[in-house]
Amino acid sequence: MMEATKQVVNQKRSWTTRLDAKKKRLESVKDLVNGLVIPTDRIVEAMEKLIRPGDRVVLEGNNQKQASFLSQALAQTNPKNLFDLHMIMSSISRPEHLDIFEQGIAKKVDFAYAGPQSLRMAQMLEDGKLTMGEIHTYIELYGRLFVDLIPSVALVAADKADRHGNLYTGPNTEETPTLVEAAAFRDGIVIVQVNELTDELPRVDIPGSWVDFIVVADEPYELEPLFTRDPRHITDIQILQAMMVIRGIYEKHGVQSLNHGIGYNTAAIELLLPTYAESLGLKGKICKHWTLNPHPTLIPAIESGWVDSVHCFGGEVGMEKYVAARRDVFFTGRDGSLRSNRTLSQMAGQYAVDLFIGSTLQIDRDGNSSTVTRGRLAGYGGAPNMGHDPGGRRHSTPAWLNMMTSEDPLARGKKLVVQVVETFQTGNKPVFVESLDAIDVKKDTGLAVAPVMIYGDDVTHVVTEEGIAYLYKTDSMEKRRQALAAVAGVTPVGLTHDSKKTDELRREGIIALPEDLQIRRTDAKRSLLAAKSVEEIVEWSGGLYEPPAKFRSW
Amino acid sequence: MKLAFLFPGQGSQKPGLLNELPACIAVENVLAAASETLNESIFNFHSKEALASTKAVQLSLLTAGVAAFKAFEAEGVKADFVAGHSIGAFSAAVAAGVIDFQDAVKIVELRGELMEQAYPEGYGMGVVLGMEAHKLQALVDYHFDEKYPVFMANQNAPDQITVSGALSGIQKVLDAAWKNDARCASLLNVSTPSHCPLLASVSDALTEALHDIPIHRPVIPYAGNRRARLLLDPVDIRLDLAESISSAVQWHDASTVLYEKGVRLFIEMPPGNVLSRLAAKAFPDARVLSVAENGFDDCQFIAKRERLK
Repeated sequence: MMEATKQVVNQKRSWTTRLDAKKKRLESVKDLVNGLVIPTDRIVEAMEKLIRPGDRVVLEGNNQKQASFLSQALAQTNPKNLFDLHMIMSSISRPEHLDIFEQGIAKKVDFAYAGPQSLRMAQMLEDGKLTMGEIHTYIELYGRLFVDLIPSVALVAADKADRHGNLYTGPNTEETPTLVEAAAFRDGIVIVQVNELTDELPRVDIPGSWVDFIVVADEPYELEPLFTRDPRHITDIQILQAMMVIRGIYEKHGVQSLNHGIGYNTAAIELLLPTYAESLGLKGKICKHWTLNPHPTLIPAIESGWVDSVHCFGGEVGMEKYVAARRDVFFTGRDGSLRSNRTLSQMAGQYAVDLFIGSTLQIDRDGNSSTVTRGRLAGYGGAPNMGHDPGGRRHSTPAWLNMMTSEDPLARGKKLVVQVVETFQTGNKPVFVESLDAIDVKKDTGLAVAPVMIYGDDVTHVVTEEGIAYLYKTDSMEKRRQALAAVAGVTPVGLTHDSKKTDELRREGIIALPEDLQIRRTDAKRSLLAAKSVEEIVEWSGGLYEPPAKFRSW
Repeated sequence: MKLAFLFPGQGSQKPGLLNELPACIAVENVLAAASETLNESIFNFHSKEALASTKAVQLSLLTAGVAAFKAFEAEGVKADFVAGHSIGAFSAAVAAGVIDFQDAVKIVELRGELMEQAYPEGYGMGVVLGMEAHKLQALVDYHFDEKYPVFMANQNAPDQITVSGALSGIQKVLDAAWKNDARCASLLNVSTPSHCPLLASVSDALTEALHDIPIHRPVIPYAGNRRARLLLDPVDIRLDLAESISSAVQWHDASTVLYEKGVRLFIEMPPGNVLSRLAAKAFPDARVLSVAENGFDDCQFIAKRERLK
């Protein structure tokens, strides 16, 4: 009886519906394409055939690299033919990323970051012009591509392709392999824009059997130099903070592997390694392994022999030759150029490094932080992946173990999550606030959770121009708030601090002022920076670093 | 690179402003059309004495904005977007092709007259610098009094917001702003409580008047004052023109929408440089020019060059 039922069921059902549907779509463009190649001027037509209404479409774009030719083409499709698309985008960056919703081509969106379009996002959500899926961190979004957001179509960008569809993504490999994998291995359609079609690739980053179509773009994909910080803008206060971080955190806990944010305060740390940190005899003891984009400000440390390895999320415009010439340090291909991978570097930065340090715009009295602004919907990106203590971690490192504060036989370590801020932003806005704007944004936009960038219970240290709060050492919420208030200056949160408590907190080692770390405020001068300008970074690199025009002042 | 034209509002006027327009046929035609509609030379409206009247100010600003726009058009410089602040929105609507210039002159004449008559004394506006909107809103709510009402008005920048209403109510809010660490809080030299519900009757009259003139689909997208949306439906634009005077102008958001739409070159029409200064501060990586500061020739030269990129 049982056998018979099984047979009937098996006979009735097709197990290749996805593949059949894909074949039909491929068939529909066979007169339009030349092998794998879609003619540049027929991309819109091809998209209207290869993509169907209601499809889940993953469109490549993050804070650096954009599949700009394909996004522009998608915006030119006819909403009568193509509508109700469910877009999945790491970053909503370009105007047409939202134009496709205004025009009715797309309806629902799942994303990680929308900073460059954050006002239009908020407006369109309010006006009902788009339906919100969820806001993710990068890793979460990539994860869901393999679970419940499996794409029907992937639209991605590569530098070069050959006639077989093999792709070269070079230094800017970023998330392309992840997006392609999610579509290619579940009978989705993969369309790749390339800057160039060529007979021989420098190396293969993505094999041709994962790719359905390539199209030569009318201009190279958009690429932003987002991780270049001109040392000219680094202030004495940021140098003071960098000195405190080096002594009071990196040296104290023996931090060997780490990720840095993109602020000037972390650029200052990078530029103090060959000078200040060197004078403390810390070379070889701290900052050896990095998950970090090729920051130009890391060049002096690399040249001075501080850095063993760097794995990158993406490339950085101008760093190509330098990276290729330092292959002991960076991940590079046979061709010599950088191989980045956002998914793997995010994962490494979440699970495998000792420390994350970055800046923020607001911190509440419990240490929760946020970068949102009222009336805007910006999302997260990758910072919350780095800026969080992954609870399931097992492997130990000296710094991780150093965060243990209990004698419990089951006690475990903690990732170091450090926030470095000045107590006031420009424009006299306090960073330490009673309540995060994120709570209002949640209310105004109907989000399921308040858009907190880093949760207070993950934060181990907060560094301001006043000193360091060692939050991981506090054993009660009250103590934690005292420690934060003690370094919060004259902000509303800082003013709640009873200055008599300061000495007690110092004695307990819960806060440290610069003098407790043997740092004289007057020593924090720009003369400590290993490079004080972009020109000096170029000099350190022996001319290998080629900064984009906007960073050249000479 | 996308280009937006910005049209300034009241406060940007200065005596003789029409004399500083580029000398060309397109400008002369606009000036002549204005005079014809008014049955009086438009040059009677831009003298120091004449500019004491709101109506004269608004007519001069409308004419200057549209004339400069036509001069750019004659040179082949086309904007991707337009936006105007308060009265400047009418110039923007003409530039967008939504209303005809001569109709705009009539409507603006009416707008100026109604505003002058609405609250002859005891009302006005103030400005607060260095305080965020939600904090100022809390002070405005706290000091609101039926007898001496005060409202949040224009959000020109995240830290530059005007308040509008009865003078005594405004003064209370300004005093409270000083006490709460605003960088500056002062009365403006205007006698009309613009951009707040006290001018609802003016909006009603404008709504009626605007219904009597033809409207057309915009040929250039227009960023609205009231909700800072990019508007493509002429009916929405007409509503924005009527309602703006009794609603807060969300200028910072309106210009931010243009920036997010890809605008990286802003050119402010004459007179003045108020809007270009706001844009330069809000969008450090954009190129921002004003005809008043950079001159018409440089503006059109740069616009042509940047458009090729």
